[in-house]
Amino acid sequence: MDDLALERYFDDSIANDPSYMVEEELDLQNSLKESHASSTNSQNSSNLLGETETSGRLSNDLDLSFLPDDLGNQSSTTTVLATAATNQNAELDVLEDSGINLDDNLHDMAAVKCQVTVNLGSESNASPFCPMTPMTPMTPMTPMTPMTPVTEKSGIIPQLQNIVSTVNLGCPLDLKFIALQARNAEYNPKRFAAVIMRIREPRTTALIFSSGKMVCTGAKSEEESRLAARKYARVVQKLGFPARFLDFKIQNMVASCDVCFPIRLEGLVLTHQQFSSYEPELFPGLIYRMVKPRIVLLIFVSGKVVLTGAKERAEIYEAFENIYPILKGFRKQ
Amino acid sequence: QVGKSDVMAGSVTSSSKERPASRTSFIPELQSMMFALGDTRRPLYETAALVEDIVHTQLINMLHQACEGASLRGSRVISAEDILFLMRRDKKKLARVLKYLQFRDYKSKLLKNLEEEDVQQEPGGLAAGGNQRRQRLAQDFLAWMDQTGEFLSLAEKQEVDPVKQERMERLERHTRNMDPAQYAEFCESRQLSFAKKASKFRDWLDCSSLELKPNSIATEILSYLAYETVAQIVDLSLLVKQEMTVKNNPVSHVISASYIHYNTHTESSPATVEPPSGAIQPCHIREAIRRYNYRHTVGTHAYRRSGMAFLTC
Repeated sequence: MDDLALERYFDDSIANDPSYMVEEELDLQNSLKESHASSTNSQNSSNLLGETETSGRLSNDLDLSFLPDDLGNQSSTTTVLATAATNQNAELDVLEDSGINLDDNLHDMAAVKCQVTVNLGSESNASPFCPMTPMTPMTPMTPMTPMTPVTEKSGIIPQLQNIVSTVNLGCPLDLKFIALQARNAEYNPKRFAAVIMRIREPRTTALIFSSGKMVCTGAKSEEESRLAARKYARVVQKLGFPARFLDFKIQNMVASCDVCFPIRLEGLVLTHQQFSSYEPELFPGLIYRMVKPRIVLLIFVSGKVVLTGAKERAEIYEAFENIYPILKGFRKQ
Repeated sequence: QVGKSDVMAGSVTSSSKERPASRTSFIPELQSMMFALGDTRRPLYETAALVEDIVHTQLINMLHQACEGASLRGSRVISAEDILFLMRRDKKKLARVLKYLQFRDYKSKLLKNLEEEDVQQEPGGLAAGGNQRRQRLAQDFLAWMDQTGEFLSLAEKQEVDPVKQERMERLERHTRNMDPAQYAEFCESRQLSFAKKASKFRDWLDCSSLELKPNSIATEILSYLAYETVAQIVDLSLLVKQEMTVKNNPVSHVISASYIHYNTHTESSPATVEPPSGAIQPCHIREAIRRYNYRHTVGTHAYRRSGMAFLTC
């Protein structure tokens, strides 16, 4: 199948399916508009060309929305993103990141803007459950989990550093062929049984296996990770494989922050023995395995804290809020 | 075959072995380690030199015995199994080594998660075996050796290690009163280990007298054991030091005017007078080793050829 035919094929499938939506504007206020796929199907390419996301993208690598996701009932959900009451994840995402990652139809072109909202969130001293950034769309407050009264919020928000996600492309792949044809791909079967591919925007690395499964690492937010995964899938698709986008799942999130005071780790390891282990001759940080939520924290004398093992952003925030008063108790005066 | 000529029963150091002056020395690192384990801010040079001697002797003796075991089983290198075999008698210490191996595996797994760049540098990592290779190695060996099921349960044991507990408490007390600058120094010293200086450690060990050489995992375990030996020595010596200071004042809590007058300046015999810094002295160490030897060689079994008990097993 030549390239043009492929494009036409995909464009047709969009035209016929009203549930596929392409986000043309990055205006967050309008991000929850109803599906206008039917009106835009013919303008897909121009919309995408006109999109403002990044400058570094290839012109033939734009249209990702039609990748069938096998998530069934997407068509009715496009208008209800605002409330998104079904998914706790959405609470944070809606209010902080304009809530796009839930619905794959509204795939995220707003990675850049997401970063901005997150930063704003930290300045406004948001708690993890009700960030009220000025860019929040005028949606009613979604029902939030009741918060146990905390004496004092930390005022610090951990920043995501790395997201690892997996997705199933749904078809076996010829790795050699991919490695030869694709740019930025390495394949060394003697060392490792997967193709390692990289893209610049979002800056990520993917491991693509012959079974069709793929691991995507290096993104700094959930939406970025999803977007990057879609781009890789698109690359594979363009090479002629019937790639789909099944079971996208975030497997691990890593975040870090700084409490800005020195911590006396010997005291912490003694009082929280069941959770912590501190062997400075092996590793300079204290490893704290929190049970609820199930997160591993690396706590250093300098006050830097690294959190890992989360599947959702909320877990990271919750874990940090749990540990902060404990760390304050062991502040080295 | 009699005991190794360089260690006489009861003697502590390998004084008859010529140590070339240019040999690598861990004395400065040892001083740092002793501080990190509870000694004063600047441990004495002589003390560190003595500790170095002891640790080195013990390691070489262990290696010799491990070498014999390895050649008996027809191996070309000394591997982790040979060392674990030597340690079979002391379950607690064996459990500690197992925990160490688990920790090393866990640490490499954790760090791999944090640094995405490592993904392609460790191609075996995603394979099932890569993640837990050390622990798996140990488990396999223990399974082979285990007659009564006691070894296999070691890895799962969650009970508190009293020695580690005591160390933790001691260090916690130690650090409570430090100011941030001192504490920062202290933390840095705590991070020192033989494993961090692997090549220097290998030179210092000097396996030239051995028929078979230890492989990398065996060397890892040895560097851990070296650190544990130092820790044990410091533990015991601190106890001895503590005892010595109160020994001559059994009723020091009962104070009368005359006692204060007579006892203020002549607290103890010259042998146990402490320098103002309160550092551990070679005599504390010698006494500690003497007691340990006594406890561990009398009546255990007749095959302690070296005549000196190993502090780590």
